[in-house]
Amino acid sequence: MKFKLMFLALSLVSFSGVASGFDLDRFLQGKQDKEKTTQPAPAQAPSTTTTQEGVATPPPAKQKIDAQQLGFALFGDYSLEEENRIGRQISGNLLGAVPLVRDDALQRYVNLVGNWVALQSGRADITWRFGVLDTDDINAFAAPGGYIFVTRGLYRLLDNEAELAGVLGHEIAHVARKHHLKVLKQSSLISALGQVAGSKAQNSDQLVQNLIGNGAEIMARGLDKNAEYEADRYGMVFAARAGYEPWGLPEVLQDMAALPAKDERTSLLYKTHPHPADRISELGKSVDGRLDAVHGKDLASRFYRIQ
Amino acid sequence: MRNTLIFAATLSLCVAAAPALAAPGTVLRNDKIYSQPSSSSAVAGSVPKGASVNILSKQGGWLRVTAGKTTGWMRLLSVRAGEGGLGGAGVGDVVGAATTRSDPSRVVAVAGLRGLNEEELKGAKFNAAELAQLDMWVVTVAQAKTFAGQASLVAVKVPALPEPKPAKASSSWESN
Repeated sequence: MKFKLMFLALSLVSFSGVASGFDLDRFLQGKQDKEKTTQPAPAQAPSTTTTQEGVATPPPAKQKIDAQQLGFALFGDYSLEEENRIGRQISGNLLGAVPLVRDDALQRYVNLVGNWVALQSGRADITWRFGVLDTDDINAFAAPGGYIFVTRGLYRLLDNEAELAGVLGHEIAHVARKHHLKVLKQSSLISALGQVAGSKAQNSDQLVQNLIGNGAEIMARGLDKNAEYEADRYGMVFAARAGYEPWGLPEVLQDMAALPAKDERTSLLYKTHPHPADRISELGKSVDGRLDAVHGKDLASRFYRIQ
Repeated sequence: MRNTLIFAATLSLCVAAAPALAAPGTVLRNDKIYSQPSSSSAVAGSVPKGASVNILSKQGGWLRVTAGKTTGWMRLLSVRAGEGGLGGAGVGDVVGAATTRSDPSRVVAVAGLRGLNEEELKGAKFNAAELAQLDMWVVTVAQAKTFAGQASLVAVKVPALPEPKPAKASSSWESN
């Protein structure tokens, strides 16, 4: 109890604008160490093709970690393990709303393109997972820890591999730049305080769920528009670094801009993202002539087309 | 006017399948029209922000457009395709509503194709089986590199793009 009060007091201090984070983190580290269940470091380059990561990371339901551990970590940087656990919970919930397309060739193709683009992002510590969601909705999602989803509706708009690379690059940028984690961190103070007051959180799953809200609603809340603009810039750059022509993402934005405004398939997208016209305009200011000398491939012939 | 709307609606139908070809567009910032898809080619004209253009074709980062009597090439990111004019949602909504009224057949084209909604996402329950399925498709770094090599994709150095400077945005075209 005393501990919790101290936590509460410290939380209030960081609320009031004192640079939050590392001191508190370090202070708490000693108390957590004995309880901490150490996870194996995720493989940088998994040597097997299938469920290695699934084996390395037990399903969230079986993890028992002190309720406060995650809450405390909120004041510092999330560890890779926490990042992955948050992303896994969000993704599992999202998949509860919309399942994956059952097309092994498609999903494998998207993972190959995605991993190649992600290699240019500077986050080699992550095991990236890509999935095409079985819905007509035109959208794409990213969750912390390297979980990336593209809807079948968006995939159908694509004409070549460079466009896919650009779309995946945008989502990879959200993960690489930790956009969702920054949002969670801002709301986590309130959440953590609530938990201390209620003393209800029983395990880390509950904590993660409390953090992200109901189901996958975090995906309907969206990010700050500047995070979207930044992801557009990095998305183009990641695709270009991967050897694709850089114009894939802008071309997809043009496709979306040309859709009827009342198309139901884009209603969630427009709720959570600036309008494509604004995104094109913002990109234009940054890009100008900077990519004129970059000539990549579009690989239309290799692009996997779905029915 | 009515004809224009129907024409435009038909165009946007085509646009959905083969985007940015012979489609209406709006200029997003003051920019030049070049005679070739290159900023070192001769300048054929200038267009102001908000001007309407007709998009004829695309090539790399360039669009071939007609603006008034001038035909030439503009930067892909200086133009938006579609009906919505300059702006984001506000302008688009108005035009969207108008074209929906003028062409009921277009509504049929997208009816039945539902989007995701907030309630579905909010009510979603954790699905461990789907997550396990996702894990089945994970590929290794080595596999991704082999896949890239098969298409002769080579990693290249491209510097990060700067954040735009809003205050100076309108003057950048003049210095070109």
